[in-house]
Amino acid sequence: MGGFFSTIFSSLFGTREMRILILGLDGAGKTTILYRLQVGEVVTTIPTIGFNVETVTYKNLKFQVWDLGGQTSIRPYWRCYYSNTDAVIYVVDSCDRDRIGISKSELVAMLEEEELKKAILVVFANKQDMEQAMTPTEMANALGLPALKDRKWQIFKTSATKGTGLDEAMEWLVETLKSRQ
Amino acid sequence: MFAKLKKKIADEAATAPRPGGPARMPRSISKESVTSVGADSGDDFPSDGSSSREDLSSQLFRRNEQIRKLEVKLSDYAEQVRNLQKIKEKLENALETHQDSFVKKLQEQNETHQTSIAKMAEGMTLALEKKDQEWREKLSHLEKAAKQERKLLSTQLQEMREQSLNLFQKRDEIDELEGFQQQELAKVKHMLLKKEESLAQMERELGSSTQELLQTREELQASQALSSRLCREVQKLQQQQVDLETERDELKDAGESAENKITTLEERSQELQAYIQRLSVDLKNAQLATSGSEKRLEMLQGEQESLKLEFEEQRQKMVAQAEEKTQLVGQLQEKVALLEKRLEGSLSGDEHFRELFREKSTLEQSLEDTRQELLAAQTGHKESISLMETQINQLNCRLATEEARLSEKEESICHLQESSSQQLKDLERALQLAKEAVTKSQDEIKDKELQIQKLQADLELESIKSQEDLSSVRSQWMEQVGQLERQVAALEAAQKLERGAALQNSSQLEKENTELKEQCRDLERSLRQQESELERVKVELSSSAEIIQTLEETRKQQVADLTVLLQEKDQQIADQTDSLLKQEEEAKSLRQEHDLLLLQVHQLQSCQGQAAEKEAAMEEQLRVFQTQLQEQQERLLAREKQAAVLELASMALEDHLHLSEDGEAEPNGELVSSDVIQLQKENRDLEQQIAEKNKMIKQLQQRMAELKKTLQKELKIRPDGEVPEVPTAALTVTNNSDLSDSREINFEYLKHVVLKFMSCRESEALHLIKALSVLLNFSPEEENMVKETLEYKMSWFGSKPLPRGSIRPSISNPRMTWS
Repeated sequence: MGGFFSTIFSSLFGTREMRILILGLDGAGKTTILYRLQVGEVVTTIPTIGFNVETVTYKNLKFQVWDLGGQTSIRPYWRCYYSNTDAVIYVVDSCDRDRIGISKSELVAMLEEEELKKAILVVFANKQDMEQAMTPTEMANALGLPALKDRKWQIFKTSATKGTGLDEAMEWLVETLKSRQ
Repeated sequence: MFAKLKKKIADEAATAPRPGGPARMPRSISKESVTSVGADSGDDFPSDGSSSREDLSSQLFRRNEQIRKLEVKLSDYAEQVRNLQKIKEKLENALETHQDSFVKKLQEQNETHQTSIAKMAEGMTLALEKKDQEWREKLSHLEKAAKQERKLLSTQLQEMREQSLNLFQKRDEIDELEGFQQQELAKVKHMLLKKEESLAQMERELGSSTQELLQTREELQASQALSSRLCREVQKLQQQQVDLETERDELKDAGESAENKITTLEERSQELQAYIQRLSVDLKNAQLATSGSEKRLEMLQGEQESLKLEFEEQRQKMVAQAEEKTQLVGQLQEKVALLEKRLEGSLSGDEHFRELFREKSTLEQSLEDTRQELLAAQTGHKESISLMETQINQLNCRLATEEARLSEKEESICHLQESSSQQLKDLERALQLAKEAVTKSQDEIKDKELQIQKLQADLELESIKSQEDLSSVRSQWMEQVGQLERQVAALEAAQKLERGAALQNSSQLEKENTELKEQCRDLERSLRQQESELERVKVELSSSAEIIQTLEETRKQQVADLTVLLQEKDQQIADQTDSLLKQEEEAKSLRQEHDLLLLQVHQLQSCQGQAAEKEAAMEEQLRVFQTQLQEQQERLLAREKQAAVLELASMALEDHLHLSEDGEAEPNGELVSSDVIQLQKENRDLEQQIAEKNKMIKQLQQRMAELKKTLQKELKIRPDGEVPEVPTAALTVTNNSDLSDSREINFEYLKHVVLKFMSCRESEALHLIKALSVLLNFSPEEENMVKETLEYKMSWFGSKPLPRGSIRPSISNPRMTWS
């Protein structure tokens, strides 16, 4: 019934929830980022088989944030969630130089989808607190971001455990979403 | 190691049909380079040599230098080649060992798997047959036994019901008795409570009476204070009385003194009267004396007259003698004058004058003597007259004095009489005054005595009153105290009575309790008797059971079980019925199990088929691996050959170097350097390949393990038939090789999605429909239907979309392959 009332309110006041997907390879830190955004705390996570969906309120904007599991076997199911997505937060492990290629191919495949044509892309170069972390420019080049056309994108260096960079990223996202409306 | 190899091989196999993946291209080029270098290396020497002859002179110097460098490099390369050879040998060894071990393992696993599957199948069939037979036998036995047991149990049940009815009756009686007991107990408690209440009331009354006592005590104190005041007043009055008495005494003394004075005054008056009488006597004596003195006066006056007559006679004689003498003195004088006239006349005759003067002197002396004699006589007479006169005067004086004295005495007597009379009068007045005073004082005394008597009477009255008050108050208090004590006594008596009553009640209750207990005991005894009867019955039953045992040896154990079960009465009956039901259930379950086992056998057979297929696949994979291994071995051999060729080439180079040292072999230096570079590249490629193959081997091992797991799981899961089919349509993005091992994860994913779909909000559920339809292979109609129903649930209005009859996913969808 709470959902019922919330739908009533949302239909009454016309405040549509922004739909955001958090994607990325397994172990990139998607679930940690989701709960860091929602609760503001670092939670202990287990590998997500399936997804987590939470409602995050940031600057009076409501986000319905979907954190989809990034394991190889369930990556194909990402496409099931693409419709009506406003923004995609693509999380990359800055220390995982070995799988940056896989990450890039997954990103490219995702961005080719018709349903995500209008989605804003925010790349989180996560785990920046580690020592051998790639710089954002390095990562942007590795992911082939500069080659993207017809896409509003931005890369941020973040650390979900330390909580750094998330605010800036969300600020940019909120501003971009507002300006697009 | 091998898993990666295999993966790579698989990848290659997968990518081969595809039109040229850009990622794979460099690898193929590198392979070509590897193969081409070995082929080209021999051809390049002469061609370069022929071209270098044209400008030998210019290149000779450089060649020399290059040769020197190359010598150094060659020595390094020789060392590197040696190292590489060593590494190659090691790798070969490792590869061989890995191959061997892997082949052995695969063979062993295959064998064990086959044997185990065969054993499993045989064992399962045998066990199933055996179990079938056993269960059938058991079922028949159990059915028979159950029927007999039912009969016995029904009879026992009836008996037990009768006994239980008796028991219930007795329990009811006990309950009734307990109820009566509780009622009586409640009554007694009620009575006790009432008496406690009455006690509390009496205590309250006691408290009030004690308060009254306290009040009366206070009143007592007040009255005592009053009495003390009265006592003080009495004391004061007594003191006043004492004072009055002292005053009375004083007055009495004064009266007595006044009486004394009166008596003294009377005495004095008597004395005065006596004095007056004496004075009158004296007066009489004085009058007598006066009369005597008057007589004497008369006599004296007679004497004085006689004396006066004698005095006049003598004075006449003396006057006659004085006249004779005056005549003689005149004669003599005439004689003297004659004599003188003679002497005168004689002068001339001196002797007749001297004898006339002598006769004159003697006549003058004789005249003086006669004068003196006359004077003396006259003085004597005068003296006697004076004397006489003095005497008379004296007598007159005496008389006068005596008369004065008399008068004085009379006056004094008069005075005395007057004073005495006055004194008497005064005294009488004083007496009267004193008497009056006495009478007054006596009146006062009487008044005071009356007052005193009154005061004393008042005092006595007051004291009597106060004493009476005190006594009355005391009596009241005493009465109150007595009443209170009586009340207390009455209360105590009542308490005692109540206690006695309570005790009696309690004793009665105890008696009733004891009676009840006795009744209980009797009942218990009866119960025990009944139990003993029951036991006897049981014993009889057991004996009967024994008889049955003797009669029916085949059912000994069951009867024994039943006798054992009989000992536990109602519960056991229930237990037995339960056990019967359970046995029936067990029979049912056994039948079900039997069916299940049959199904399992069928499934196992199918599994065996699948396993055989998988084994075949595995064998094929193994063959592939073996072929790959052979290929790799061949490659290794080729590389060894290449190495040998390289060695040869190096030898040749050395020779060439030696030759160039001699002076004529410079153009080969360049080629050597390119060879060296190529060698390095080859080395790197080889190392990469080795690493890749190691990775592939690892991947293949992992896949082997996963395959084993899936095999085992499928063996377990297949009977339930719950493995979802992998949605192959969705897997366009990533490689398909993960499909087989991701089934488990997919099932978990499906479960998670369905759970979320059921639990999350409708707006979120709407997004999940697609995922669900992909996971469960929904047809577009089904997906639309789900979406519409969800939208109907979300919307406020609208009609419920009717599920069209043609779309019944459970029936009409043949694509759902739950195997």
